[in-house]
Formats: sequence, structure tokens, C-alpha cells
Amino acid sequence: MKPHAMLSLILGLITCAGAAPTDGDTPGYTPGQVAFFENRVRPVLAEHCFRCHGQEAKSNKKLKGGLLMDSQASLLKGGDSGPAIVPGTPDASLLIKGIRYTDNELEMPPRQKLSGDQIATLTEWVAMGAPWPGVDPATIVAGGEEEPYDWERFRKTHWSFRPLGRGALPKVKNSSWTRGVIDHHVLAGLERAGLQPNAPADKRILIRRAYLDLVGLTPAREQVQAFLDDTRPDAFARIVDELLASPHYGERWGRYWLDIARYSDGLGGFGDGAALPNAWRFRDWVVQSFNADMPYDAFVTAQIAGDLLEGRPVPVATGFFAVGPTYKGDGGDPEATAQAQGETLSDRVDTFSRAFLGLTAACARCHDHKFDPISTRDYYAIAGIFNNSKLRMHPLASKEEIEIYNKAQAAIKAQGQKIKDWEAHEREEVMRKGMRRSQAYLVDLFRFHRQRTEPEGQKDLAAYAIEHQHDPEVMKRWDAKLKDLRFKGKLPGLDSWYALKATADQTEATEAQIVESAQAFQERINGILDLLGKKDSAWRDARSKGDLKTGRPKAGGKEEQLLNELRRHIFPVKLEKVLTDAGRGTWDGMKTELASLKKHAPPKFAEAHGIGDSGSADMHVALRGDLRKKGAQVPRRFLQILSGEEAPAFGKGSGRIELAQAVVDPENPLTARVMVNRIWQGHFGEALVRTPSNFGTLGEKPDLPELLDYLASRFIEQGWSMKKLHREILLSSTWQMSSAFDLEKFGRDGDNRSLWRMNPRKLDVESWRDNLLVVTGELDKTLGGAPAKEILGSTRRTLYASISRNGDRFQSDDFLRLFDFPDPRATSPQRSVSTVPQQYLFMMNSSFMQARAKALAARLSMLEDDEARIRAAYEGLYAREVEAAELSAGIAFLGEDSAGQWPAYAQVLLSAHEFMQIQ
Amino acid sequence: MKFLEHELAYRRATALSRREALRHMGAGMGSIGLASMFNNPVAAGISGNPLAPKHPHFAPRAKRIIQLFMPGGPSQVDTFDYKPLLKKHAGERPAMVDRKTLRNTKMGLMPSPFEFNRYGQCGKMVSDIFPQTAQCVDDICFIHSMHTDIPEHAGGILMTNLGALQPNRPSMGAWLTYGLGSECDDLPGFVAMSPRAKPRGTMANWGNAFLPGAHAGTYVNIEKMKPDAIMRDLKNTHLAPAEQRKQAELLSQINKLHLERLGQDQQLEAGIRAMEMAFEMQFSVPEVFDVSKESEATRKLYGETEFAKGCLIARRLVEKGVRVVQLSHSISGYDIAWDTGHGNIVDGHAELARACDQGIAALIKDLKNRGLLEDTLILWGGEFGRAPTSEGAKGRDHDHYGYTMFMAGGGVKPGFSYGATDDFGCTAVENRVHVHDLHATVLHLMGLDHEKLTYRYSGRDYRLTDVHGHVVHDVIA
Repeated sequence: MKPHAMLSLILGLITCAGAAPTDGDTPGYTPGQVAFFENRVRPVLAEHCFRCHGQEAKSNKKLKGGLLMDSQASLLKGGDSGPAIVPGTPDASLLIKGIRYTDNELEMPPRQKLSGDQIATLTEWVAMGAPWPGVDPATIVAGGEEEPYDWERFRKTHWSFRPLGRGALPKVKNSSWTRGVIDHHVLAGLERAGLQPNAPADKRILIRRAYLDLVGLTPAREQVQAFLDDTRPDAFARIVDELLASPHYGERWGRYWLDIARYSDGLGGFGDGAALPNAWRFRDWVVQSFNADMPYDAFVTAQIAGDLLEGRPVPVATGFFAVGPTYKGDGGDPEATAQAQGETLSDRVDTFSRAFLGLTAACARCHDHKFDPISTRDYYAIAGIFNNSKLRMHPLASKEEIEIYNKAQAAIKAQGQKIKDWEAHEREEVMRKGMRRSQAYLVDLFRFHRQRTEPEGQKDLAAYAIEHQHDPEVMKRWDAKLKDLRFKGKLPGLDSWYALKATADQTEATEAQIVESAQAFQERINGILDLLGKKDSAWRDARSKGDLKTGRPKAGGKEEQLLNELRRHIFPVKLEKVLTDAGRGTWDGMKTELASLKKHAPPKFAEAHGIGDSGSADMHVALRGDLRKKGAQVPRRFLQILSGEEAPAFGKGSGRIELAQAVVDPENPLTARVMVNRIWQGHFGEALVRTPSNFGTLGEKPDLPELLDYLASRFIEQGWSMKKLHREILLSSTWQMSSAFDLEKFGRDGDNRSLWRMNPRKLDVESWRDNLLVVTGELDKTLGGAPAKEILGSTRRTLYASISRNGDRFQSDDFLRLFDFPDPRATSPQRSVSTVPQQYLFMMNSSFMQARAKALAARLSMLEDDEARIRAAYEGLYAREVEAAELSAGIAFLGEDSAGQWPAYAQVLLSAHEFMQIQ
Repeated sequence: MKFLEHELAYRRATALSRREALRHMGAGMGSIGLASMFNNPVAAGISGNPLAPKHPHFAPRAKRIIQLFMPGGPSQVDTFDYKPLLKKHAGERPAMVDRKTLRNTKMGLMPSPFEFNRYGQCGKMVSDIFPQTAQCVDDICFIHSMHTDIPEHAGGILMTNLGALQPNRPSMGAWLTYGLGSECDDLPGFVAMSPRAKPRGTMANWGNAFLPGAHAGTYVNIEKMKPDAIMRDLKNTHLAPAEQRKQAELLSQINKLHLERLGQDQQLEAGIRAMEMAFEMQFSVPEVFDVSKESEATRKLYGETEFAKGCLIARRLVEKGVRVVQLSHSISGYDIAWDTGHGNIVDGHAELARACDQGIAALIKDLKNRGLLEDTLILWGGEFGRAPTSEGAKGRDHDHYGYTMFMAGGGVKPGFSYGATDDFGCTAVENRVHVHDLHATVLHLMGLDHEKLTYRYSGRDYRLTDVHGHVVHDVIA
């Protein structure tokens, strides 16, 4: 095992997973005692005691009973009642007495007794002598006054915090191989290792590599041929420039950035289920920014604070944060809510710090970072900035456009309301007329039931209603409701109806009883309606003067309730059935106007998901990461390791503008180093620092530190231009080396850390699928726009797939993840490369592959014979000529009925490893 | 077809020897989770099969696990946590029930509407809605003192299956295949199933989160299951087997020619092997899910319900070496089946129990008869329990302060009950077991130290149990 790995292993066992520090200054404790204290005792004290008996309470002058409980010494000293513990004798310890709740005068914690387990734990702890490892009581309050880091030591000794250095060019022997500074550094390293660089790659391999690398699309046969025929010395540089100018460059390289931005269309499942229908606007902005070669410092600034930039705001860029998960607690449980907020902030801090700085600041959420100089204060200083930056929909339109849109929408809304009011009024009129006839309905309903069973009786209620000039629907409703016992009590005054069973056939009630009851009910209703009628006149006046806001007066209280029961259950009105011709004319007129307003309203202006300032409050350190347990308040500011112990507090709104300035400050050595390292990874498959989002002490060290620093300072010097960097890399001898395997070199540097060859790579899923469509002539090269819901059913580039964060909303989610598409739940610094059987099931059996195979076979069928077709296939798919053995294998497979066999053969060629490989 | 059978036998044999080779490689690596310590997922990904069997930290008691997940929260006092005092104090509302629950219901204690009877040598009292499982109590280890963090379904379910309240951590099954690999290479290492509804949280319950993708569970809906459509693209619809064989051979040949040209290429070698395995899976996967291959006696033992079919498939899967099976209960489109308890314990719980009781009992008996129970762990339970007070006239609200889960086989004490709630089944008061403790215990039974099974991600080491968890040694035989 390498020493580094061994160290990692040892360190790994005592990381975050092990809670608070365990190696205190107090000697003589066994590891078991230490673990017992840290894992069982300290959490109980922290959760249940420190609020009233901790350092913070003391400094706020809120210490209870004069007792401080944050060290063994303070417990021994005790409070107003005397020493809190007698080590070794729990029964004599006030602390134990208190938590046992045996003495009414001393019950601690006062609000709720600890659990049996917790009591047993503390008792056992006192019995073992109350071991308290570590002497610094402040360590109990996370982010309190922990031992400060040795900042200067970190800045001096840890490579990534040191300023960018640019030493003299190293001396090399084989100077004819070098074309520029990059090669110089690489060759110096190789010579130190006693290795020779590989020979330059074959021209065919080179052009295919350049196309796949820069635009992700394989070159056509003609393009390969033209390059082979071009003997000008700058032939390859021309290809590079052409590809960098292609709009497809942004599609390829923007996608790398989208991995880092954990880009998805939302739909993160429970607690984070919202869709982000406009996420694609952020995707398009990223692609366009790459294509425009936006300087990286501006690119970063826009994503952190684009909405706040004076002059030319780019709010869409803040989608960088908004496309990530935003968790919600379920059902309002306070613990779940606090957790959700904590996780959301953790996403922001994690994404921010890893993406731009290559630092894992989210590790400091519960306690100071164990290995890097990042404190919980740093964490909550940054978290505070995002706590004041809430999700916001940013309009992407001019003020005028927005105003025109809003006006049109307001007019639509007003017209809609006008119609609703009118309808309500018309309905109410009809209903009130009906209500005034309640008595007649009721009496006739009774009469109906009484006569129903008689031989000549009318059996049909509806017919009976019509005979007596009633609305049969209303009659039927009366009947149903007065039979329904659940309804009893809802119509005060009609209780007797249920008692009398007045609505049953052969009822024993007498007509006199019924009439009396119905009349009383009618009078009550009439009373209410008369009162309402009087109140109505003022409202009518207001209405006639155009006041549509004042609502129609209500009877209020039980009276209103009674009317509402009648409105809902007895007299509901279908307006279209009762309107007069005049009324219908008015109604239709208003509706036509509404339709016209809708038709002429401008479409909704474009909007983007982003963040916006929502306040400027500082956060408190959350003890053990729990937002409900507040530690010291920390001002919003940048990380102390980068901006000094006296890092200035941010004051402008959320502080994002100042944060962005601190990130892109050329004095900050991380931002440029991190980005050039990512770009290097894009070109070589492996980065110079193989943990591209972790430049901390647990990350890897750069393989060629001088090269990394050269690239970073050059990057800044050239105005943070990414295209210039690409160009310099592609025109180096290093990038143009062959990827050929060499047993001897492989034996000495199998990981290729010294770059003796170009790394052979597998295409990512986007390029692989795109090229399946390129070689069959099916690719739709349209740029940008809303995503294709199911990319497997589309011929657009894979970049335009819909992606759900939970990975279960689209069939394409499965497909993408099967081929190592990153989980968009968190920022992803590099793709994993897995090879699993399910990938081959897809290649062998999916309808997508069958369709491509057929298309390829059809495309090649234009050629004269199988040999010509096979030759064309090899050149089109792999940019090389077919070999004899391959040709004969193909011919043999195709056999007599070659037309029938071609799709199966084409599928094999498309599934071959060579097709998904960059050599 | 004879040729094909020979070929498959040959392939199984060669796959086996490869597995041996990988096992040796694993031994050389020294420790679980080591690859991740290099912090180089790319290197870890290409060294062949991420599911190759790995050495546990210590001798395991269980080699595989079947989780019978009961989403929605089955009521403890109506199933396995017998509380006779509820009858005596019916309608009363002692102070202890005044804790925050989901709906903070205000009604009094409600006795179980079901009768309880004594079963087995151990004399366990079990509710009448689980008559068949009751016959197996001498093989079961009950934990009556479970408790969890919150009384919400989504968070509770995620806590049960991921050890976290948000869906951004790997599931327990993913951790297990990450730590142990899989014993078979023509089936997924982790299979999640449910009849009808997926449990709330869906994919997260069997997701891999930041662990390598190969550790994600493969989900199968056993209601509409067709054996050849269990996995995506499992069946070739356009070529006859002989033609497909010929095609696969050509692809193999072309890849091998390319490999010769390159000299050496790990990714390509892994690809050739994966293609061979994929070919084999087309036949082995449908077979294992096809319960019609079972004897009539066995099928009768399990009965007719969809859940029972899941139990039988679970047995077939673990028999073939699948490491983790998660079978979630559901009888309708409802993703938290047992939550029907809010309105009506009598109907809801009786119906749900009826749909799973025989399957559970059959699984225990069948595994036992086949000698598999001793190293197969069964884990039964939901995300929390239900309050002993009533909600409305007949229902019960959520209760996360105390509830029951049970385990069987795999090294746990048979015929044993651990921990207790108070007299009314309200709060776990004796030998409390948090979900983190349960996870630590499950990992321990599977031969893994929950504090050592870590994965370095985003700058720190993650664990299934986060910074919590104690192994409950008292339930281990």
C-alpha cells in the first residue's frame, strides 16, 4: 500500500464519523472511556444542559443556578447548591439526583425528564469517575472559541493555499519535442522519471480526438480526408480554431460545467419534488457563455451575484444555485423543517465551495473541519449569505414588456371577476325566489308522500312537482335531504320534519302540523331575505357606480349558514338553464370580451429560476449542525484561510457581490487553479489534481505542480479566457501524443501520472449517444431551448434531455444513469466510468439501438457492395480503414442474405468498444 | 438449444473462476471501503465488477437479508405489542400520551379491537390478525422498543431505509452491496420489489446516492411483472436466440481484435466480460422471477396474495446469492399502505395483515426447511408505529416514540422479545433501540462494523449510521 493511502486509511477512521475530538490533553483515559464520553455523555449534556449551563449562557448572563457544566472542573466546582458531581459516587452527586427527579426541589432538566437510557448513561459516567477528555471547555460549543487554526502554517505549507508561483522554465534534454511551456514542464517530469513521451498520434486518431474532445461529435469521412490531404504546417491549428468557433463547442464544454452545477429539471422526490420548468434557460446561458468565451471571472461572478450586477445584470446565471435541491420539511414538524433548511444551506455551501474553490466547506457544518482550516464560523459565515438569498423567478424581459404583460393579465383578471360577480348575482336572484317558495315545496312534498301509495296516486315525484308548478329538480333535492339523517340539524326549524317522518310514505303527520312547521320555516327565511334586501340597496348603489370590490352583504352567523345550506343543497342554479334571452346576451357579451382579452394578451415573458436577496441577517453557528440550537452569531464574510483572520464582514444585502469579488480576486490562488485543473481533466481524462473539487489536505496533490501553476497564472494573464487555454493545450506535443500501450512504461507509471501517453478514454454518455446519431445521419443539431422530455425518443443532442433529480421521472433518467451520468443531487467533479452488463443489455436489445442499426444499414445501402459498405462504416464510425481480418469477419457474418443481415451487423459495429473510445 | 446450454454452463464455470480471481484481488486490498479512500472513483470503477464479493470486517451471522418493509406505520398495540391494560383504562387520557404526534389527537386510550392469543414455546401474545406469523414466534426476535426521529411518513421512511431524513444518502441495501458485493454475477446484488405502489420516497429507498451506480437496487413491480421484462431491455425482440448468439460472438471477436491492436486496455477487457454476462442474464433473470417453477406444495405454502408471491421470489433470489431483497407491502395504489390506520384500525389493519401474514410465515418456514434461515436475516417493520390513543372513533395517529419491529434468522435470538414500551404501548422505555441502532445491528449481523463501513464523499467519510448507532448485542444469539 502506498504511504499516502495508508495515511488516508488511518485518518479515515477518525474523521467526522467520530464526532468531537477524542485526543485531549487529559492523560490516563482509556479509549473506551473517551469513546463513551464523546458518543454517549457529551451529546446528552450538549442537548439538555448547555443551554442553561454552558459558556454561551454564561456570556449572555443567563447562566442558571450559577452552575457551569462544560468541563469536569466546573462540575466539581459546582454552582449555588454546591459541587455537582462526586466522581465515583453517583448517589452523592447533585447532578444525578437532579436527573433522577426524586427531589421535587431539584428536577433537571426542568421541562422534561431525561430518558431512562440517558439517566443510566450519566450515572455510569459519574460512577467511572466522570472522565472528561480534553481540557478546553470551549470545544463543547461548536464554533465557540475552538483552538484557532495555525493559519500561517497552512498558508505556507499546504500547496493549494500558497500564492501562484511561476518559476523559470525547467531544463530539458530533448528540447526538439517541446512546442511550448506545457511540454517543457511535462517533459522535465518525464525525464526526471526516466520516461520517454509516446510518439505523436496518427493523423486520423488526432482529428477524431480533437472533434470528440472539443465538440463531442465524430468527424465525417470527408472531414477526415480533407485533414489528411492538408499538408500546411498549421493544418491542425486550423481544425482547432474551427472547432472552438463552433456552437457545438459550448454544448460539449458547457455540459462539464453542468455536472458541477448539479443541473437538473428539478423533481427531486419527496421534500424536494418541485419541477424547475425553466432550468433550461440556465443551461442555455452556460452553453452560450462558453461559446462567447466569457472570461471565467465574469462567469463565476454572474453565477454568484448576477442578479445584483449594476449596469448589466444576468439574473439567469444565479440559476447555478437554484437548480439544486431545495428541501422542505414534511407536515411542518419542527425537527424536519430545521433539517430541511439545514440540508438546503449545506447544498449551497457545498456547491459553492467545491465548485469555485475546490474546498469541502460543508464538512464544517457540525464542527470545525478536521483537516482543512475551515471552521464552523466559516461555514455559517457563508451559509448566512445563502440564508439571505432565497429562490426567485427572475423575469428575462424589459420593464416595458413586463408592464404590458401585467396590464393585460390584470384586465383579464378584472373581466373574469366581473363575470363571476354577475353570475353570482344572477344566481342569487333565482335562488332567493326559490327560497321564498319553500313553504309551498314542503307542503306539496308532504302531500306527495301521503298520496303516493294510494291506488290513483301520482308515483313520480318529478311529475308531481311539475303538476304543482314546482321545479322538479328542487323538489327532488328537498325530498332527498329531508330523508337523509346526516342532514338533520342543518336546517334549523325543520327538525320536526325528521321527527314526524313527514317525508315518508304514509306519514302519520297531519297536514296541520306540516303547514304550521313549513310556515314557521318560511317566515324565518323571509325575515332573513327581507333584511338582506334592505342591506342590498347600498351595495346596489356602489355597484352601479362601478365598485366591483364591495361584496354583497351577508346575513351573518347562523342565518347565513342556513341560507348557505339551502343554496348548496336545495337551490343550486345552473345559470344556462334559467337565464332570459337578454341575460344570456349580456353573459355572452362579457365572455366574448374575456376571450378577446386573452387572445390579444402577449405571451408570458421568459423567466429564469434564480436567487435574490431576501435579507441581511447574520446566522448563528448551529450546534452540531442543528439549526434549532444556536451558538455564537457570525458575520457574513469569506473564508478566513483565504481572506485573513480579520476577514471583513459583508454588508451589501446578502453579501453575494462581495463574496463573488473575493472568489475571483487574483490574490486568491484557488479559483484559477481549480478551473484550469478541470479544463485539463476535460482534455486528458485525468486531472493534474485528481480530486478536482477537493484541494484540501485530504485531496490529492498535483502531479505536476509547476505546470498547474503555470496554467493558472497564464489563465489569469490571458483574461481568464478558456478558449485560449484550450488552444494552448491542444497545440502541445503533450496532448498530441499517441495513447498506445507500452508495457515497460506502463510498468513504471501505470496511472500515467507523468503523462507518458494520452489516456485512452471512454466517451461519456452524451457523446456516445450523440455519435450514434451522427454516424447514422440522424442527429438534429438544433441549439438550445426546452428539453426533450424523453431523449431516447428524440434525435436531439443528449445535453437536451430532461433530467429529474430523483432519477425516476423519465425513462431517459435510467438510460443516462446506466451510462454513468452523474447524480444531480450534488456537485459532481468527475464522471465515474463503470462497465456493467446492463449497458450491454441496452446495446443488444433496446429499441433505440435497433433503430440506429437500421438507420446505419439503410444509409450504407446506397453503396455498391458489402465491401464498400464495410469500408465506409469503419471510416465513418472509427475514422480509420478496415483491416483484412475485420473485413472478412464482416463478409462472413453477412453471408448470402446480406440485406437482411445488415441491421444486425450494423448493431455490432455501433456496439463495439472502439466506437465509444477516444484514443 | 443444446449448444446454448453447453455454452451457458461453460460461461458459468469461467465466470466462477473469474470471481475467485476477484476474491483474491479483494483479499489483497486489505479492507472494505479502501478503494474509496484513494478518493479515485474512476480507478475503483474500472477494476472489473464493483459487485465482486468482498470480505466482511468479521465473520458474519447473516450473508443476506430480506427486508419486509411495512410503509405507513403498523400499530404496535394491534399486532405484536400486547397491552392488556388498555382495556382497563379505555377512554382515559394519562399525561404520558400528551406528546407531539402528527395530528396531536385529543382522544383517550383505545384498546385493540383484535383479540390476542398465546403462541409457541416462548408464549408470545400475538394479535388475531397475524395467525400464521404467530405460528413462527419461536423463530422470531421482536424488538418492542424501537423509536425514531419524526412522526412524518416521508422522513420516517427515509430514516428507516437510509438513516437520514432527506433523500440524499445511500440506502441500507446499497451500503450492504458496497460493503459485501454480491454472490452472483448474473443477477443484481440488490433487488427492491413491491406489489402495486412503490413506498413513499420511491427510488431513494433503494438508491445509491453518492455510492457507485452498481450499488443501486433494481426495482421490480411484482403486480404486473412479466419475467422477461423485469429489467430494462432484458429481452431481445428482433433476433432468434441462435442469431443473437452469432451476433454476440461477432461483437466479442471485433472487440478482441481491437484489444489485440491496443495491447492492453482495462476498460475494453471489462466490456468484453460485461457483454458476456449480459448475454447470460437474458436467460437467468427471467428464470429466477418465475415462481411457476416452484412445486405446488411450495406455492400452496405461500398462498395467493401478491405479497406472498414477493416473499417466494425473495427466497428464490437469496437462494441464487442476491445480497439484499427489499419487499414493500402494498395492496392498492397507496404508497403508505399501513396509514389506513388513521381512520379505522379494524378494517385497514386486518386487510393489510391478511395480505401479508401467510407470505411472511411461509418465508420463515421455507427458509428454515432449506437450511437458509440461519444465515438469512429477515427484517419486518414500518417507519414508526401508532399511538395507543384513538383518532376519531376507530383510528390511531402516528407514533414514533415507541413501536415494534422484528427480525428472524441470520444470527438473532429466536423466540425472544427485546425492549418494551410503557404499560400502554406509548413510548419505548426499556432498552430503547433507535433506527440508527437497528442499522448498526443489521450491519453487525452481516459482518460489517457500522463505524468502519465508510465512503469518502464531498470531503468527508459518510456512514449509514452517520455519527450515531450502537449495536444491540442483546438480540444476537
